[in-house]
Amino acid sequence: MTTQESATRPAAWHLSWPWVRDQLIRHSMVVVMLLIIAYFSYRSARFGTLDNLQTIAIAAAPFALIALGQTLVILTGGIDLSVGSVIALSAMAAAATVKDHPERLWLSVLVAMLVGLAAGAINGFLVSKVNVPPFIATLGMLTTASGLAYVVGEGAPINGLPQNFGEIANNQIFGLQIPVIVMIVGIVALALIMKRTSYGMRVYAVGGNPVAAQIAGVKTTRILFSVYALSGLLAGLSGVMLASRVISGPPNLGEGYELDAIAAVVIGGASLLGGRGSILGTALGLFLIQTLNNGLDILVVPAYWQSVIKGALIVAAVTVDVWSAKRRV
Amino acid sequence: MEDVALECRDLAKAFGGVPVLKGVSLALRAGSVTALAGENGAGKSTMMKIASGQVKPDRGQVLVGGVPLPHGDPQAAHRHGVAIIPQELAPIMDMKVYENLFIGRELRTRAGLLDRRAMARKAREILDVFGVEIDPQATMRRLPVGLRQLVEIAKSTSGGAKVLLLDEPSSAISEREVERLYAVVRKLREQGVAMLYTTHKMEEIRALADRVVVLRDGGLVEDRPIDDITDDEIVHAMIGRELQDFFPELHPRGEEVALEVRGLHVSGYPSPVDLTVRRGEILGLAGLVGAGRTELLEAIFGVRRSTEGVITVAGKQVKRNSPADAITHGMALVPEDRKGAGAVLSMNVLDNGSLPRLSQFTLGGWLRQRNRTKKVGAAMESVKLRSRGLGQQVGTLSGGNQQKVVLARWLTGSVNVLLLDEPTRGVDVGARSEIYRIITELAASGMAVIMASSDMPEILSLSHRALVMRGGAVAGELTRDDLRSPDVQDTIFRLAAGLSRHKGPDSNAQPTALATKLATKEDGR
Repeated sequence: MTTQESATRPAAWHLSWPWVRDQLIRHSMVVVMLLIIAYFSYRSARFGTLDNLQTIAIAAAPFALIALGQTLVILTGGIDLSVGSVIALSAMAAAATVKDHPERLWLSVLVAMLVGLAAGAINGFLVSKVNVPPFIATLGMLTTASGLAYVVGEGAPINGLPQNFGEIANNQIFGLQIPVIVMIVGIVALALIMKRTSYGMRVYAVGGNPVAAQIAGVKTTRILFSVYALSGLLAGLSGVMLASRVISGPPNLGEGYELDAIAAVVIGGASLLGGRGSILGTALGLFLIQTLNNGLDILVVPAYWQSVIKGALIVAAVTVDVWSAKRRV
Repeated sequence: MEDVALECRDLAKAFGGVPVLKGVSLALRAGSVTALAGENGAGKSTMMKIASGQVKPDRGQVLVGGVPLPHGDPQAAHRHGVAIIPQELAPIMDMKVYENLFIGRELRTRAGLLDRRAMARKAREILDVFGVEIDPQATMRRLPVGLRQLVEIAKSTSGGAKVLLLDEPSSAISEREVERLYAVVRKLREQGVAMLYTTHKMEEIRALADRVVVLRDGGLVEDRPIDDITDDEIVHAMIGRELQDFFPELHPRGEEVALEVRGLHVSGYPSPVDLTVRRGEILGLAGLVGAGRTELLEAIFGVRRSTEGVITVAGKQVKRNSPADAITHGMALVPEDRKGAGAVLSMNVLDNGSLPRLSQFTLGGWLRQRNRTKKVGAAMESVKLRSRGLGQQVGTLSGGNQQKVVLARWLTGSVNVLLLDEPTRGVDVGARSEIYRIITELAASGMAVIMASSDMPEILSLSHRALVMRGGAVAGELTRDDLRSPDVQDTIFRLAAGLSRHKGPDSNAQPTALATKLATKEDGR
């Protein structure tokens, strides 16, 4: 009935102010993004260049991977605080591997991913099987993995790595660095998976209503386990890319990254209660943060002020989102 | 007309251009209960929210004791003694009963510290007036929903509320708790409280109301003293048409056994359950709250643990404790708690509709959009779902339509056994008869149906056969002929309460429950 009404509505109606206003509010994130881009482009000639776009993309890549994993975790109503430490641990493991086997770069990537996967699997097991609250389970992993990262390096960074280790982060394919390609592939693949596969729908269902999902035959523990495992795996991948970029294994790598990842997901419109959010939203949130970082750097805004501006923006973005969600009802 | 406690004048409200209330006026007198009846979506809740200051009306006025209330100011309404008991209660679960009662107006000692002892003592006095046994020291979370509700009522009236707005207070509580609620409402009436009581249940209107106001499509269609109006007139006013064939004709059942349960030990209950349902048969499950009906259905479906026993569907054994296997064998469960367990409210109709049979709609894990749109669309069409389309979020549908989604999502594949738990709880009269029609049609198409229900007419008119449960076990079985006999309700109560003539040793197991039950039956209806 209502569908017909909107179908027969004259097209001119769509241009009325309330409609424009609704669209602006609904896509507030895009609007904010465009405003920020416009502002930086106006202030700096360098900002709008293709070169700078690539700089932003390179900086975004390691965050993108953990933000993707985080999105799935948050969609189930959980949270993964451990990704920053898992980055450190897997980076150390990769660095140690490459030191012993300098000619086998793929081995270091594999080791990093396996370490990440193992950490994620432990999180997943604790959350899905033992029913430990996600916050606690992953907080424990945060501390444990961070400690282990220092254990691997015996309290110090692993240095003196072969220069070819840097190839992972710096080699280019089609003119794009490998991490950027991994990021793009990751975003596209996960966006498709979440929208177009039964797995994606099950993740949304478990987050939206676990009891109903179970009655509909969804194996909720498996889904829960899988999102934490995936989050760990992606953190591992992110870790080896970061280590390769600096050609060393600093045990404090990735410290605090989990918060930026969570911020990206939340700015992207996800609900921390689960069931609501999207990969594209997260991608948008991520680029909002990264663009802001980049632009403020170009304008030589002091780091402390950058923090203040970023924090205010996160709160503002979510406020607008809450507000628009209220209007939609 | 002198003691009008609350008056609404010409209230109108529209949400997003859709009128929800179109100029409604009514008056509540002190010491009386006014039933606010109407189907879901008639504007009852909006009316309540305006009266309690939560929602600002577009037009009209609310007066308390002749003084106009400022619009959209719940604090002011509260100060003027207007309290609302919402459908979804929001007590502080981890605090004690007395703490909940005194929150915001804590009693203090002379030193300015909390006087817990005085609060607990006062709490006991307040609760005692209602004649209910609630320990003031108990944690709110440990109380059943019905008692939490009474605590909320006690909190508002002891805080000086003169007008109490109860929004479908019986929808979330068990049958036994409803009786206690009635007693409390009557008590408050004696104390001079004016009450507006939303409901669409006829027996509640008859049991409590002095006056009945019926809303339909946002307009007031009836406002009369209860003695001047017949049940038929109320129903007619609510749905705007005659209620013909409320319960559809039952089709004869088949002979082939569809579901057989042998020696099923449901976790938490001592005795095993046996039952058989044939194709095309509707088996009613009656019993008091806590008799284990929900638990039995859940155990058959596999979402509740069973420790022993054999479940066969159409001759094939089903793995216990595996909902996925139950679904593969053609079982379907429509749970009692629609919002908590039935639908994923944040997802749309299409996704909810595809969830139980996802593998049917995927190819190598990828969703086949056209295929599932077609199948889910057809299933939703078959139950005449009223929605804006498959893309509408289920949380924004009315209760009856949500229930249709929860039911119809199973119909995208073949169902052998349909397990229904309180299929019409919280569903309005119009949608109710539609759901009955759907159930009988599904049975006629060859499904075996087990229907747990606390609604006596539902059990009597809609089942081929009924089992009465008590303490997780089957206490008795009633055939179609038994169900038609005039004293069947009495038989069911006796079985449900453990007073069956053959069961000597158990006969005084629950004398109080039985006493209340029988007493209400006699004076109530």
